Amino acid sequence: MKIRSQKDFWSGLMFIGSGLFFALWAMAFYQMGTAVRMGPAYFPTMLGFLLTVLGAAVLLQSLAMEPEGDQAVHTPFNIIDLLIVVAIYAVLILLSQNMGSSSDYAILGGTIIVSLLTAVFRPDAKPLVLVTAATIAYGYLMKPLGLVIATAALVFISAAGGHEFKWKEVIILFIILILFSVLVFVKGPIWPEYFG
Amino acid sequence: MDQIFHNLVIGFGVAVTPINLFFALIGCLLGTLIGVLPGIGPVATIAMLLPITFNLSPVGALIMLAGIYYGAQYGGSTTAILVNIPGESSSVVTCLDGYQMARQGRAGPALATAAIGSFFAGCVATVIIAVAAPPLAEVALKFGPSEYFSLMVFGLIAATVLAHGSLIKAIAMVIWGLLFGLVGTDVNSGVLRFTFGIPELSDGIGFVIVAMGMFGTAEIVANLEMKEHREIFTSKVKNLWPTKQDFKDAWGAVLRGTALGSALGILPGGGALLASFGAYSLEKKVSKHPEKFGKGAIEGVAAPESANNAGAQTSFIPMLTLGIPSNAVMALMIGALMIQGIAPGPQVMNEKPELFWGLIASMWVGNLMLVILNLPLIGMWVKLLTVPYRYLYPSILVFMAIGVYSLSNNAFDVLIMGVFGVVGYICAKLECEPAPMILGFILGPLMEENLRRAMLLSRGDPFVFVSPSKPISLGFLLASAVLLVIVALPAIRKKREEVFVEEG
Repeated sequence: MKIRSQKDFWSGLMFIGSGLFFALWAMAFYQMGTAVRMGPAYFPTMLGFLLTVLGAAVLLQSLAMEPEGDQAVHTPFNIIDLLIVVAIYAVLILLSQNMGSSSDYAILGGTIIVSLLTAVFRPDAKPLVLVTAATIAYGYLMKPLGLVIATAALVFISAAGGHEFKWKEVIILFIILILFSVLVFVKGPIWPEYFG
Repeated sequence: MDQIFHNLVIGFGVAVTPINLFFALIGCLLGTLIGVLPGIGPVATIAMLLPITFNLSPVGALIMLAGIYYGAQYGGSTTAILVNIPGESSSVVTCLDGYQMARQGRAGPALATAAIGSFFAGCVATVIIAVAAPPLAEVALKFGPSEYFSLMVFGLIAATVLAHGSLIKAIAMVIWGLLFGLVGTDVNSGVLRFTFGIPELSDGIGFVIVAMGMFGTAEIVANLEMKEHREIFTSKVKNLWPTKQDFKDAWGAVLRGTALGSALGILPGGGALLASFGAYSLEKKVSKHPEKFGKGAIEGVAAPESANNAGAQTSFIPMLTLGIPSNAVMALMIGALMIQGIAPGPQVMNEKPELFWGLIASMWVGNLMLVILNLPLIGMWVKLLTVPYRYLYPSILVFMAIGVYSLSNNAFDVLIMGVFGVVGYICAKLECEPAPMILGFILGPLMEENLRRAMLLSRGDPFVFVSPSKPISLGFLLASAVLLVIVALPAIRKKREEVFVEEG
């Protein structure tokens, strides 16, 4: 049995995985109720199993009985990297909760670690990781450090995810964007609180 | 007829007030501005600009959003013609002949034809909405929960059938969206579902955030992964006005495109998308010189552009009368209504006539503004196209991040946007369409609510949806089944794939 379409194979797995997750989680933790008075678990369980079935159909379609098709299973994206990223965040969040501090710092720290790892080991994944990291950093820097520094993080990190990075250009861009942000952004601190 | 006239008078009374004209103008300008930027479709544009409408009155917000939508569509055709990059899927076919015209130095007439064709289509579609919406809403007022549930099933199925790509994957995406839509507090029992102890999730995931992630950041990443290579015909946009021969060639195409687009736009799903593809193939079939298509035939610009504008406009009909989104853009509109505290549905027309008719009148106003604005401003939009992407995308990110953050001053929302960006990226890699997911996402809670009510009323009898005493519900479900069967037929399936890959 060979895989005819890697894309369908992995989408199938993705749908089965999330379908089962939603269905089983709902069954385990929420009231099922009856058809007349549906509990909170009823609809998600139905949908979850339906998604699982559809996922299985996609998966089966992706398998070919003929000898042609790709031999090995390989993902269109790097699934191991994705798992590593998720694991880094999970560990940091658990650690921060054990230490009794806010998980916000864990998310920020995880973002920094993931960005650095990507920049060093996976330059190909820079657009995805750095663009995502830039937005996350923006969100979590806003409260403690204010708008200017959050925007700086967003602009510089995301610019580093592109093809060319020229300091002069990015600094000018940052200045324009911060002016724009100050104009439209009314709520929240602009500078870190202890600055003034 | 009198009634329609009366309603339109109410509408124009609302739409032509200075403040609403101003909102329409800002919407059209912003929409075009963002729509012109390559690689940002209307869904991302609207999601991005939604937060700025939150502080407006409901009428102002909707008028502005409608302006943004037309503007984004219009901007999309401009990029299609000048850069050969469709700003959105419905202008894919405009690329074929529009770009060729631009290469022959006829970018001006191509842009003008697109604008005039769109305006004509917009006028016709506005009248169609004014005529068709009231009777439809009348019918919809009689809908009970079972009719609504079946209608949503039909809408979702039709949306996947008319979308391109694998049907079964599209349906799976819808269900995925429905499930994500259920995250948060269950209204019936007050139970927190799938929140994993995260307090920020108890109100559910904001649809704006999901849309921005799936369409916004994911698109930016996809664009960054491609190398930049664009050929822009900026110097060649002169003598805008089409020649007499152009008018003669194009007017038939505009008429046919408008008719086809208006009809297809009402259907759930690819509204504008299917309309433009269909109109292009139709023109090629009826043309006396089909060999000219793909080599700069003006009909190849006029027909799809009129069709997609007509379709974009008539796709408001199911949204306004039934409260059911027919595509991802309408899903965002419904979300915007809900944020404004208005439950979308047939009652809106009676309870808030000034909102309903004001919006319809402002559609026409918006179309007029686009023609007046865009033809003279084309030089400016063209300049915008020459801005390198490396300046654009951090700016877009700043815009999106501010928007998401200021929704509730919460870092978690921005994190969710990032997560859905990654999800959107993976979906793109796996060729799973994000649009059906957004539809499911917005309909999830509504569907559950109506299913529950219907089952409660029928005392748990699942056959209530197909019983002969509920002919409307039965009809919707039958129609869904027929659609599925038709699409699954091998012959049609092949044809459907052809339509969507045709020269795309």
